[in-house]
Amino acid sequence: MTNVITNNNLKCTIALAALQNVIDPEIGISVVDLGLIYQIDFSEADKKVFVRMTLTTQFCPMGESLTGAVKRAIEQTFTGEEIFVELTFDPPWNHERISEEGKQFLNR
Amino acid sequence: MFAGVNSSQPVQNTTHKVVIPFYAYAAVSLFAACFLMLISAGSFTGHYFNPHVLAITHIMALGWGTMIILGAGYQLIPVLIEKSLYSIKLAYWSFFLAAAGIPFLAYGFYYFDMGWPAKWGGRLILIAVLLFVINLAKSIQKSKKGNVHAWFMLAASGWLFITAFYGLVLVYNFTFPIYERNPVDLIPLHAHTGIVGWFLLLVIGVGSKLIPMFMISKYTNNKLLWLIFLLINTALLLFILLYIFNVGSAIFLLPVSMILISLMLFASYCYKSYKQRIRKQVDGQMKISLLSVLMMLVPVAVIFLLIGFFVSGKENLRVVLLYGFVIFFGWITAIIFGMTFKTLPFIIWNKVYGKIAGLGKTPNPKELYSEKLFKVMSLSYLSGFVTFIAGILTIERVVLTIGASLLLTAAFLYCVNAGKVLLHQNPFQNDERNNQ
Repeated sequence: MTNVITNNNLKCTIALAALQNVIDPEIGISVVDLGLIYQIDFSEADKKVFVRMTLTTQFCPMGESLTGAVKRAIEQTFTGEEIFVELTFDPPWNHERISEEGKQFLNR
Repeated sequence: MFAGVNSSQPVQNTTHKVVIPFYAYAAVSLFAACFLMLISAGSFTGHYFNPHVLAITHIMALGWGTMIILGAGYQLIPVLIEKSLYSIKLAYWSFFLAAAGIPFLAYGFYYFDMGWPAKWGGRLILIAVLLFVINLAKSIQKSKKGNVHAWFMLAASGWLFITAFYGLVLVYNFTFPIYERNPVDLIPLHAHTGIVGWFLLLVIGVGSKLIPMFMISKYTNNKLLWLIFLLINTALLLFILLYIFNVGSAIFLLPVSMILISLMLFASYCYKSYKQRIRKQVDGQMKISLLSVLMMLVPVAVIFLLIGFFVSGKENLRVVLLYGFVIFFGWITAIIFGMTFKTLPFIIWNKVYGKIAGLGKTPNPKELYSEKLFKVMSLSYLSGFVTFIAGILTIERVVLTIGASLLLTAAFLYCVNAGKVLLHQNPFQNDERNNQ
């Protein structure tokens, strides 16, 4: 969670819990543990959720699946809210963003 | 809040529709080449310049190696150059033309009919290659300058075009003699622009990106990759010049040594990537891909032996056959076996589950193929590879037949496993259909 910028800590925790189920099929850990999620903001007035995320490599063939999966997982959790997912490569992903749990899994 | 964000931005990847036919075609080609090798095992007891060996070599080089590399290339170009593919239409056309041309060329060689079948085969393949080169060059034009992987791919595709063009010239040479030299003397140029220029440059260019990527390695060294790039291209140009000007055999040790150095540098690049990996578990597909990097050194050892024979004035036909065999059935086949089951399941997973990922549990891409079948295939392949080498060296038809049978079994298992992935469907979707 320390890696993710948000304007609502409580809702962000719920969103990240939902995103724990979105697994990168190549690496086998969640997009959260992989450190792909940069920012999750909530607009209470407009009922909108904004997610800013990245991929391990630009033009990753799984990119569309992952951004779609993130959108769908948040949609299921925050029903009735509109979800916006932005893909960014600034800053680019690096292995230091992997969580301790993720590193433990990869170290097995 | 984000400024100007109103929807999820799609990543422009190459559609699976254009990639899958290349994989399917390559699998059938491997099976066809192994089948022809089984029924023509006796051809491997004689001279390498014979119709059956030429047909099998071209099916392996074009139908198997080149087709799967083109297919995987269309998928990976965006990953390597960080820009989307210039044209999907050109990619389709390159498939149709090459797919039509390869059987004609193979037929032409097998029955040694250098008339219209071989000529049309060669022409269609050349146009297909040209379309690939245009597509790649146009895609790279949009990418960042100085991307070493893009340069590897571009140079490799240029060498492929030269190989295909020169190959077509050689086909014409049988009916309209252009060169005075014996056709057998012209083969090394054609073969090495293809093997070193096309396959080696491409494998290193793509492998240097994918191997660290799949292992999540901290290691990067673009300077080393540029050095490898320069060494290989210089060595190949030097080899061509030495060959054209018919300089003595011993001097060929120079370009061969340059290639050996570049291979050792690439092996050290892979080793450092391996040592600095974050993902400790290395799966079977990566292991076989890393093994194929070491297998690159085998043909170089064989060519040193060949040069030794040439210098001493003896031509050893067994070693020439062995050289070709370890390249196409060793190094190239091993890397494709590893990379097929590393890339194809993800392409199909994306196609089947991409739109429902995140809604519930989906199978892991690794579950789309049979790991057990992969292991049996690898065992059959390695034993067939070693047995066939023994057959080439001992000139024993029975040993060659046993080796070819094992390789055919491996090719069959590869086709079954690749077919299992290609035909995979969402099981829950079938349940829903049955309930309706």
